[in-house]
Amino acid sequence: MPDLDRQPVPAPRFVLVTGKGGVGKSTVAAILGLLSARSGARTLVCELDSHERIAPMLGHEPVGGRVTRVEENLSLVNIQPGEALEEYGLMKLRFRTLYRLIFDNPLVASLVRFVPGMNDLLMLGKAFNHEREADDAGRPRWDRVIIDAPATGHGITFFRLPRIIRDAVPAGNMHREAADMWALLTDPRRTAVHLVALPEELPVQETRELKARLAGELGIPLGHLVINMIPSAPFAPEAAADFARLDEPRDPRLHRMWTATRIRAGRASAAEKHAVALRELGLPIVELPQRPERTLDRAGIDALAALYAEQLAPDGPREDAGQSTPLEGEL
Amino acid sequence: MSAPFDEELRRARLLVTAGSGGVGKTTTAAAMAVRAATLGRRAAVLTIDPARRLADALGLGELTGELRRVEPRHFTETGLTADGELWAMMLDVKTTGDQMVRRFAPDARTAQTILDNAYYQYFSTSLAGAQEYVAIEQVRALIDEGGFDLVILDTPPAAHAIDFLDAPDRLVSGLGSRAVQMLRTDGDDAGFGARLTRGGRGLILRGLNKLTGGPFIEELTRFLAVFGSIIDALQASGEAVKARLRADDTRFFLVTSPTRSNVDEAVRFRGQLTERGFPLGGVILNRAHVPLAAVHDGPDSRAELDAALIDGGLADVPADRRARVLDGLFAGLDRHNALADSDILASDLLKRATGRRPWRIPLFAHEIRDLGDLDRVARELRPVEGMSSAPDDV
Repeated sequence: MPDLDRQPVPAPRFVLVTGKGGVGKSTVAAILGLLSARSGARTLVCELDSHERIAPMLGHEPVGGRVTRVEENLSLVNIQPGEALEEYGLMKLRFRTLYRLIFDNPLVASLVRFVPGMNDLLMLGKAFNHEREADDAGRPRWDRVIIDAPATGHGITFFRLPRIIRDAVPAGNMHREAADMWALLTDPRRTAVHLVALPEELPVQETRELKARLAGELGIPLGHLVINMIPSAPFAPEAAADFARLDEPRDPRLHRMWTATRIRAGRASAAEKHAVALRELGLPIVELPQRPERTLDRAGIDALAALYAEQLAPDGPREDAGQSTPLEGEL
Repeated sequence: MSAPFDEELRRARLLVTAGSGGVGKTTTAAAMAVRAATLGRRAAVLTIDPARRLADALGLGELTGELRRVEPRHFTETGLTADGELWAMMLDVKTTGDQMVRRFAPDARTAQTILDNAYYQYFSTSLAGAQEYVAIEQVRALIDEGGFDLVILDTPPAAHAIDFLDAPDRLVSGLGSRAVQMLRTDGDDAGFGARLTRGGRGLILRGLNKLTGGPFIEELTRFLAVFGSIIDALQASGEAVKARLRADDTRFFLVTSPTRSNVDEAVRFRGQLTERGFPLGGVILNRAHVPLAAVHDGPDSRAELDAALIDGGLADVPADRRARVLDGLFAGLDRHNALADSDILASDLLKRATGRRPWRIPLFAHEIRDLGDLDRVARELRPVEGMSSAPDDV
């Protein structure tokens, strides 16, 4: 029974990753899944009815709605609302015929269809059930459950759902489960919500709002803030200063070189400015560089995971987090 | 000076920007609206992105659920002249939901009963999906009653955009469904529950109650019964928007960045749009690297370029540091063109998948800050052919 010797896995065991659309939430969820699995924690990463980015990123076939072990200690699932409903229904009703009788009924089907938010609730509920899922011996099946949560805006509503249901439904199963879910979501010993943002102008403001709403308004424990896809600067500092002094060239060849380089330098320096603002939000920071490849593959994920782990290490090189950026000078 | 996209802005009454998260949909929508106003149109841009992204660039401070006009001085301050008007708003679910109930309820008392109901809160403020229902009314009202020449609708990221765009169809079919029809015929409190209890259906209601373990279903159906009183009006509105989204002067523009996953998603999304009969105006490749002619790297050209650096203000910089700047400039151009190549690949993929040539917006050196930048985005919006490489230097 080697399991008896298992070290307790450090908190949190329920991890959600959120941020605006397109900022790399799935990438961060994939990295966290890898790091967690490598630390020896039995880890499940959940996507919610998505086009499944995580499995392909890690070099695996898409897994679909079934929990699938893809490597040591790491399983993936793409939770589907229909399957979640069936699973929940069967758990409560126990008889498939009864489930069919109810949910194949057109009145009920249209009622389910008509209630907004039903799908999100079902998917969150399923992820929640994975958190408390037990193996045959009654021990938790997962040491850690990581959720690639919906984009912000949609995401705030998503996080608020259990509380809404808890308050709207006065008693019974649904009330109890919503209350349990809410208790989990707001428990800093078990849960952390990590935020992902790009070093761009508007995301800074949005992340500030998101932090205020999640932590302030909802009381949900926040983990760290990932500043993702930080573009590299084209010059080391001294050459950058020389470049900045260059007037718009009259030579057409130099003008083209200057145009191309200026776009990149402009974006890098804007990004640095916004990264500074993000660092000032008061959350632990993880910074990830923009990868050169257009489509992130396993090698890219592994490289980012190594950088991520370095920054998370308690005695890692984070003392200078306020100043340093992983910008690579190319010169 | 006219720009290639102006024709679209003059012709359309509804433009819808759609695409994955983070590709610049909202910015594109705002840019179109700014340009339309400078072309003399009375334009409104409606974003449902709760992140209030538009406000900054539009100079509105904050976007609210109220339609607000961008003051003409913001145009003149950035050297633009707006013969038309620019209005903007963010869809505020709570406000529009309340407005909708007040508007469609048969009388004030019914409206208040609905607004006070706990499940109305559940519907209108909190649940994902409710936005879609209330957005319907907002879009329709802007077009039919707002007196706007052009409404530009920014949609949620692709995964949710289909939900959003399906909302009119879903609402119409949902409202026409048997369950809801029944609410209307017997508006009494127990209507739906009673129907479910009747005949062999007692089992169903008991099963449902077992699922929820409480009076949830009865409570919900009681709400739906009251809500049922506004259904006719809502359904008519849903029908109107359904038709509006497919009208001759409606155009959908898919916005994508050149990354592979976003391009793939755009292609997939395009299929979903055409399946539903939404008129596709085109695909816009945002933040595209426009190819720049290569520069020969050799002793002679280096010497000439170094002279140009000196001419450009680096005379007092030591030669070795100028050489380093030049190295960086060569690398910058190479890298830019490598990205431009991969962007052309992306645009070819889009062209093949959609059967028409994409539009593109070039990557700018600085971020969008004001109306002038937004106007520039719309003016730089060109068919991709304009991207083809300039001939190499002699």
